[in-house]
Amino acid sequence: MMHGPPGPATKIATAAPVLRIGAVGKRFGTTTVLENCSLDVSEGEIVTLLGPSGCGKTTLLRCVAGFWDADGGAIEIDGQEMTQVAVNRRPVGVVFQSYALFPHLTVEQNVGYSLRMRGVPRSEATLRIAEALETVSLSGFEERYPAQLSGGQQQRVAIARVLIMQPRVLLLDEPFNALDAKLRGSMQVELRQLIKRLGLTSIFVTHDQEEALTMSDRIAVMRAGRIEQAATPDEIFDRPATAYVADFIGTSNFWEARADGGRVVLPDGQTVETHLDGQAQVMTRPHNLHLGSAEAGAWKGTVAFHRSVGPLVEYHVETSGGATVKVAAMRQERARPLEDGAPVSISVIDPTLCAVYPL
Amino acid sequence: MAEAALPSGIGQPGLGERTVDALLSGRGIWPAVPAIFVLMIVAIIPFMILLSLGFSDIVVARGAIVSQTLSLSHLSNALSDPLYWTTFQRSLSLALSTTALCFVFGYPVAYLFLIGGRWTKRLILVLTIAPLLTSGIVRTYAWLVILGGRGVVNSTLMNIGLIDEPLRIMNTHWAVLIGMVQIHLPVMILPLIAVMSRHDSRLVEASENLGASRLGTLRHVILPLSVPGIGTGAALVFTLSYTTFVVPQLLGGGNYLNAATMIYEQVVFSLEWSKGSVTSLILMVTCLVVLVTIALLTNHFTRWTKGREG
Repeated sequence: MMHGPPGPATKIATAAPVLRIGAVGKRFGTTTVLENCSLDVSEGEIVTLLGPSGCGKTTLLRCVAGFWDADGGAIEIDGQEMTQVAVNRRPVGVVFQSYALFPHLTVEQNVGYSLRMRGVPRSEATLRIAEALETVSLSGFEERYPAQLSGGQQQRVAIARVLIMQPRVLLLDEPFNALDAKLRGSMQVELRQLIKRLGLTSIFVTHDQEEALTMSDRIAVMRAGRIEQAATPDEIFDRPATAYVADFIGTSNFWEARADGGRVVLPDGQTVETHLDGQAQVMTRPHNLHLGSAEAGAWKGTVAFHRSVGPLVEYHVETSGGATVKVAAMRQERARPLEDGAPVSISVIDPTLCAVYPL
Repeated sequence: MAEAALPSGIGQPGLGERTVDALLSGRGIWPAVPAIFVLMIVAIIPFMILLSLGFSDIVVARGAIVSQTLSLSHLSNALSDPLYWTTFQRSLSLALSTTALCFVFGYPVAYLFLIGGRWTKRLILVLTIAPLLTSGIVRTYAWLVILGGRGVVNSTLMNIGLIDEPLRIMNTHWAVLIGMVQIHLPVMILPLIAVMSRHDSRLVEASENLGASRLGTLRHVILPLSVPGIGTGAALVFTLSYTTFVVPQLLGGGNYLNAATMIYEQVVFSLEWSKGSVTSLILMVTCLVVLVTIALLTNHFTRWTKGREG
């Protein structure tokens, strides 16, 4: 399977992308919902649009599907411009947030809807419907109406209904929203495996970062109508391109520092390189920090709060400057965690994993 | 009775207090009493009178019934009278064609409401509801002006030279039909709009995404989902136009006979109350038969709403 290019700065086109979104914009009246959004999706790749509600991710999806017209830019599938192509002629399949199953049609009729609209002969349609239902393990449910299915089953009907028309691009608009938390986790893994097995090029929209990390080959983090960073989940987590991405994904510590001569001095005395100059902010993840005895280092503080989260202990350390730094340590069965109020010193484990952003 | 129980109920527990409690808490049949009372006066008692008049021979003297004997003669007379058959046939075909035409003209309006923008929706609502606020008699008189010998239609046609002398539209079956369709159209449109705007707009998007054209979506998604609205609208329009009196009387001239105008003639002019009662009962029963048919058809086409228990 293809994976995303190593980073946004070093995009290498290995093959022509299946879907190319080039500088797409969208305005509603005076409100700009999308601005200069560009994204390439390669064959078989799952790209997630991740961001808070109102960031434009669903708008971008709807522009690709053709429900809304983009105001500018290009949307190409297999090199063919789509902006003038009608919704019902685009090789795109959409799984809606609430599934949008036809309540008056049975599972079989729902799944076979696109074949009926395209005039596929009945005998062939019956075979393909059976095959599609088999793929999502819903054989035997043909005669049921959507209202007689559970949320998980409805979702699988929605997926089968789209798979059957063999779209070039699959669009999924928060498909797990309507499911309860427990079912969500297993459905995510199941759906990703299914999409990968069928090799479908997909765009997946969510506001849930865990869902994004589970589902995607590449994540595009969106903010106020722009794509902030598009990279692999690891890249996004370890090397967030902007302070916004770092803050949005995972837990992070920020503090202000001064960049001088291409270097920033960290509070524990180590240095990190940067191309910035002047006041900047430094970010690092809690697991890149280590707690030692109070005498061991220059970055001193006291434990204000701690809790055990599974195999980790999360400490909130109040530094002498008044800031709170989050530190994650592996839980050790033999040693008790540090008590609240204990004096400690913090050190950075790997300075190269600290990111420096402009203020 | 409840009012009488109130004073004695205060302060001392007993039957009175329990009655007041039951009354205030709205349990039992108490809340339905006023409605039952009104129904007795306006529907049940008149219906009983209708039945008793229809199935008896009466002798009227000075506006009062002086003798009454049980008899089926009025019913058998009516059923063997060809005038009854032609009149009811005319009423039925007029009502059914009005219903069909209201659907044909009303459905596109409701569809336009569904796909239209904010101002289209407002315009349609205003144009649909405004006529309902005007008296049916006034609206019928308006048609006299439009369809009359020197009316808008005829003078326009003559001015552009399509005809040399005025067409005779007024006092024909066509005038009645045109008036009926216009007057009952809102009653068809409103339930359609109500049902159509209840459905998720994503269903339309899903249909288009799955390759359906606009027409395909209309036929396979919007139309089947609006069946409950079609049923309600058809039932309302049919009942109103099957039993209508004003439109045929005014636009059909004095001689247009449908069920309602027939009853009017029998009761007001010939003072044959029993005959009028039997005609009314036939009108009611045939109307119910059609309504039940509409309900059964609606049910058949909305099977998907049943059996939600998996």
